[in-house]
Amino acid sequence: MNSEQNLQQAEQLLAAWNKETTHPEANRLDATIAADDLRLAVSALHNTHWGYLSAITGMDLGPDAGQMEALYHFCNGPAITTLRIRLPRTSDVSLPTIEDIIPPATFFERELHEMLGFRIEGGKSNERLFIPDDWPEDVYPLREDFKIEQAKPVEGRHADELPDEGVVGGNKFVIPIGPQHPALKEPGHFEFTVDGEIVTAASMRLGYAHRGIEKAAESRNWIQNLYLFERICGICSHTHAYAYSQGVEKLAQVEVPARAQAIRELVAGLERIHSHLLWLGVTAHEAGFDTLFMYSWRDRETVMNLLEQITGNRVNYSANVLGGVKADVGPEQAKAIKEGLNYLETRIRHYLEVVTTDTMFLNRTRGIGTISYEEAEEFGLLGPTARASGLLRDVRVEAPYGAYTRFPISGVTETNGDLEARCVVRLKELLVSCFALRTIVDNLPEGPLTTKMPRKVPAGETISRVEAPRGELFYYIKSNGTEHPARVHIRTPSLCNWVSVLEKAVGRQLADVPMLIAGMDPCFSCNDRLVTTVGTSGDRKTWSWKQLREYGIEYYKR
Amino acid sequence: MNINNDQLWVKVIKKVRAWARLNSIWAVHFNSGSCNGCDIEILATLTPRYDVERFGIKLEGSPRHADILIVTGPVTRQARERLLRTYEQMPEPKFVVSVGSCSISGGVFQGCYNVGGSVDEVIPVDVFIPGCPPRPEAIIDGIIQLLTHLKDGNPRPARKEQIIERVVA
Repeated sequence: MNSEQNLQQAEQLLAAWNKETTHPEANRLDATIAADDLRLAVSALHNTHWGYLSAITGMDLGPDAGQMEALYHFCNGPAITTLRIRLPRTSDVSLPTIEDIIPPATFFERELHEMLGFRIEGGKSNERLFIPDDWPEDVYPLREDFKIEQAKPVEGRHADELPDEGVVGGNKFVIPIGPQHPALKEPGHFEFTVDGEIVTAASMRLGYAHRGIEKAAESRNWIQNLYLFERICGICSHTHAYAYSQGVEKLAQVEVPARAQAIRELVAGLERIHSHLLWLGVTAHEAGFDTLFMYSWRDRETVMNLLEQITGNRVNYSANVLGGVKADVGPEQAKAIKEGLNYLETRIRHYLEVVTTDTMFLNRTRGIGTISYEEAEEFGLLGPTARASGLLRDVRVEAPYGAYTRFPISGVTETNGDLEARCVVRLKELLVSCFALRTIVDNLPEGPLTTKMPRKVPAGETISRVEAPRGELFYYIKSNGTEHPARVHIRTPSLCNWVSVLEKAVGRQLADVPMLIAGMDPCFSCNDRLVTTVGTSGDRKTWSWKQLREYGIEYYKR
Repeated sequence: MNINNDQLWVKVIKKVRAWARLNSIWAVHFNSGSCNGCDIEILATLTPRYDVERFGIKLEGSPRHADILIVTGPVTRQARERLLRTYEQMPEPKFVVSVGSCSISGGVFQGCYNVGGSVDEVIPVDVFIPGCPPRPEAIIDGIIQLLTHLKDGNPRPARKEQIIERVVA
């Protein structure tokens, strides 16, 4: 089925509840429905397996318009169906929950609640996701009339409520990990309830790296935002800038020159190599295999050199400008890239051999954290984590954008779904990337690097999807015709992949947990927005340190 | 017991202690809301090309064993208290290195609702390393400057006097 037919099918499915249908741009269907019909409409799409829920965007249209909007985006290949719900802007804006239909929606819904003050009826939890604990109630940062003075800390609360000392119930004990990590370089706080060595419940608290970028974007102009979004994440900074500039160019109806598109893909490919090699090193380190860590990071320096040679910086390279790229690839760089790729390819083949044959490493990866195809679909996983379970979620393949139409990429999948498969998928992907990059360098189209961009972007809204190293990166951009965006909503892949850790940690040994966390390649800076609990820890009771000590002494007297 | 600083054995012990400390600096890394850019560059300094272990510098997991606290990021509201706690858990003498533009001034995140501003508003900083992100060479240079300064028994570098509020543990 092509995307036209897909959209027609979606329109038929939604016909019963649809109040108004528009086609804002190619491959998009926008259906306005009433809040009461939301659950029925979502079930209709979900039950026929029409794509997957990619993101929920909340919007406050301001006190003048007196309305709030929630947009449920479903992606099916290149086709996107948006369910739009308009509600009056009152003190009680409520939406029915859909988390029982689509479990991963719980993160999106809690984001809606926290950032914009939507009340989610029937939702399991209204706990803080990524806003500090001392944030006042009923103050929502993404509301139009939010002022920073409103966010004064609440008396008697800490921004970061500390876990109780030694929390136990029965034979259980809670092990807190983070947010200052010995191995992982990013802040995130985990609590694993253990019964002996076995994890019985897992929960986490993020938000240590939440900076409030979506709000800041509304007060900066289109060009300033490019550099702001690049600094959402230092590892995939090009992908963020890519997705943002692609969206803004679509809104401004600017055609990016072919050479610029090819260079964007080139930098994105190099970034993928750097990101996956980095990941391989961190995972090896978690498994206690420091030799592999050092080797893979040594080889990663080859890519860093190439990135520096092309763009002038090792990290946060700013290769993009609105309307094109600012870095050209001349004959000298082309030669260096090819030499570098040849070297990397032999190394990647070597690593592929190591991760599939080294007995010690296989003991830590084979058959651990296995996610089946059905589970991957149910959890809404993205990127390599999904592809390791045989679910081909890759925007470059499903909905080719930019230069990927000219230089297509073949999707890599594995079937086992365990940690070993995730290693193999990522390394095989690098081989595909090396091949594609060589083709691009050989066939770089001639032409200019940039086209002229207007200062003000015409009013409208668009969706831009890009495949980041960790999965699908989703940008929703709305312009009201001024120099600033009206709303930018970003859904990063890590947000969708967290479930894979928390669900899979339960029932495993505590020692597997670091590997599970590393296995999904988490990026806190990117997503930083949730807390969630999986498993049953109902009989938790707080013990003071003294009580615990006495209990320990008594226990060993027996 | 009264210890006279002029006594020979006191001088010798001080010298030995300084020698040992300067040749085995253990660093603890804290990300207070940075974009990862600085963090991956800090990790890169440990790996074969830059290899800070040749100066005896090692990344250590626990703040209780560390001499240097390397902080990145603009200090978000939620990370602030953990940063203070981590700092307080370190034994004296302790030094703080703040890496990256946003840890110095808030950088590109200045004015965001969840961002404090800079690391030196929270804890006293000895060395600032600017850059977005600074290159691994710059990070090594910053730490080595601190070490050379301390080498001859110099006092810690001049810094703003600050009152550090204690965290209720």
